[in-house]
Amino acid sequence: MNGSRTARVHLAIIFGTLILLHFYVRPRLFDTRLAPDFLLFGLVVFAMRSGPGAGALAGFLVGLATDALSPAKFGAATLADTIVGYAAAWGRAVFFADNVLVNAGFVAVGLWLRDLILLMASGTPQGQLLVELGVYSPLQAIITAAAGGLVLLAFRQWFAVRLDG
Amino acid sequence: MFVGCLILAIAALFSPERITGGLANGLRQTILAPLVWLQEEAELGRGSRARLRELLAERDSAAYAAQVLPSLTAENERLRNLLGLSHRLRTPYVAAEVLHQAQVTDARMLLLNVGTAQGVAGFDPIVAPDGLIGVIWNASRTSSVAMTWAHPEFRVSAFTANGSAFGIVAASTSGVGSDAYLEFRGVPYRDSVVPGTVVLSSGLGGVYPKGIPIGTVVGVIREEAGWARVYRVRPAANPGSTAHVLVLTGRRVGSIADAYPVDTLEPAARPDSAPLPKLAPTLGGGNEPKAPARARVDSAGKVPARAKPDSMGKPPARAKPDSAVKPKPKPKPKLPPADSARPAPPPAAPAPTPAPKPALGDSNP
Repeated sequence: MNGSRTARVHLAIIFGTLILLHFYVRPRLFDTRLAPDFLLFGLVVFAMRSGPGAGALAGFLVGLATDALSPAKFGAATLADTIVGYAAAWGRAVFFADNVLVNAGFVAVGLWLRDLILLMASGTPQGQLLVELGVYSPLQAIITAAAGGLVLLAFRQWFAVRLDG
Repeated sequence: MFVGCLILAIAALFSPERITGGLANGLRQTILAPLVWLQEEAELGRGSRARLRELLAERDSAAYAAQVLPSLTAENERLRNLLGLSHRLRTPYVAAEVLHQAQVTDARMLLLNVGTAQGVAGFDPIVAPDGLIGVIWNASRTSSVAMTWAHPEFRVSAFTANGSAFGIVAASTSGVGSDAYLEFRGVPYRDSVVPGTVVLSSGLGGVYPKGIPIGTVVGVIREEAGWARVYRVRPAANPGSTAHVLVLTGRRVGSIADAYPVDTLEPAARPDSAPLPKLAPTLGGGNEPKAPARARVDSAGKVPARAKPDSMGKPPARAKPDSAVKPKPKPKPKLPPADSARPAPPPAAPAPTPAPKPALGDSNP
């Protein structure tokens, strides 16, 4: 098996695990509103390891799935995740994407940004928007980043992440 | 690639609901079907643990209740005769699980695991044991999307339980999370509503049947142009934490007020009732027996005379000590179960046995 094929297999295993975590484990363990969003974590991690185009496409697909499952305003999550995927791919050029803390930080910022766009695109009233963005989104971002950090550590060989600061 | 995705996303955002709804339904039934199934299984697993705890609590409660059952049964029979209430909810319904998503807008729109295959259709009202949750936004074959009262576009025609005021209930635009509340709008200035008043759906508009508890008035928010007041209403049911709901599938449902006894909404209003042991909340197939019918909201939305003073001003004899209402020792007339007057559930649904919580997913279309 050559390197590229191995990487694809690793990627499939990781994303299969993330889907299981998101749809099977998360509903059993966490309060829904603050539960870690493993789909967004997977999107950011994938986008940081691929180009902007692939990141945007992955974001589009993840957003489409999210919209189909929770259509507060169809297209809002698609738009948000597309932008997050694209931005995460560009973020790799600015930061060191192989550091676990940088990855976790990207996930947290990405989730908050996703919520910002999602709430604005779905026409959320101002008061609710401020509370969501000021309270719930940061909390969920921290929890998602922490959970994502654990996943990164568990698969650190495949992600090739550095543990030093 | 990015620009293409962006354009498609924006196009989806501004596409009509007919197209996007069809697309979402198609995705849920094809590519996303395994994921929905996974989440259903997870919810079932989590629900099983919770149900086990509830069942243990109910078993203990039932053991306790059995000690006072004869007096309660006699009291129940007398009150039924007194009030002439023998009918319960006659509306067909479908029990559904809520598949919560990790989205900021989760409490506004809920994904339910029932669809047109179970008889669910658009604009079917959704209720929980505590009260109104919302309405079906659109339904596909195996799942449906519900708009809850937390959605900014949600409206329901409502009136107070004592029938003194009518208005429109809508979600407040400022409260969120545990602080979320509703607004009872358009109440004429002359109709003051005291805090603690229960607000029910009025049945006007043809979507929500009459008599579903919406919430409790907690105060005045503001006045509108000097002719109407807007009241703050504490919601009866919380969509964000609701795991199981009932979708009322019957068309032209006039009133389901009988399904929501007023004494469960206004505990302070029954000082003369014998305290009932607290049973764990039950919601599953919807066939479980409810608390004995004491005073329910009648079809006009009013509390029927239940503890009318007699001509001497005394309360009617009802809560006499057991010695006064002893059940007859010989062949006891077999009392019907509390909801015996309900229409028989379909074959798929469990029979209304004393078991208070049928398996999840049972439906009664």
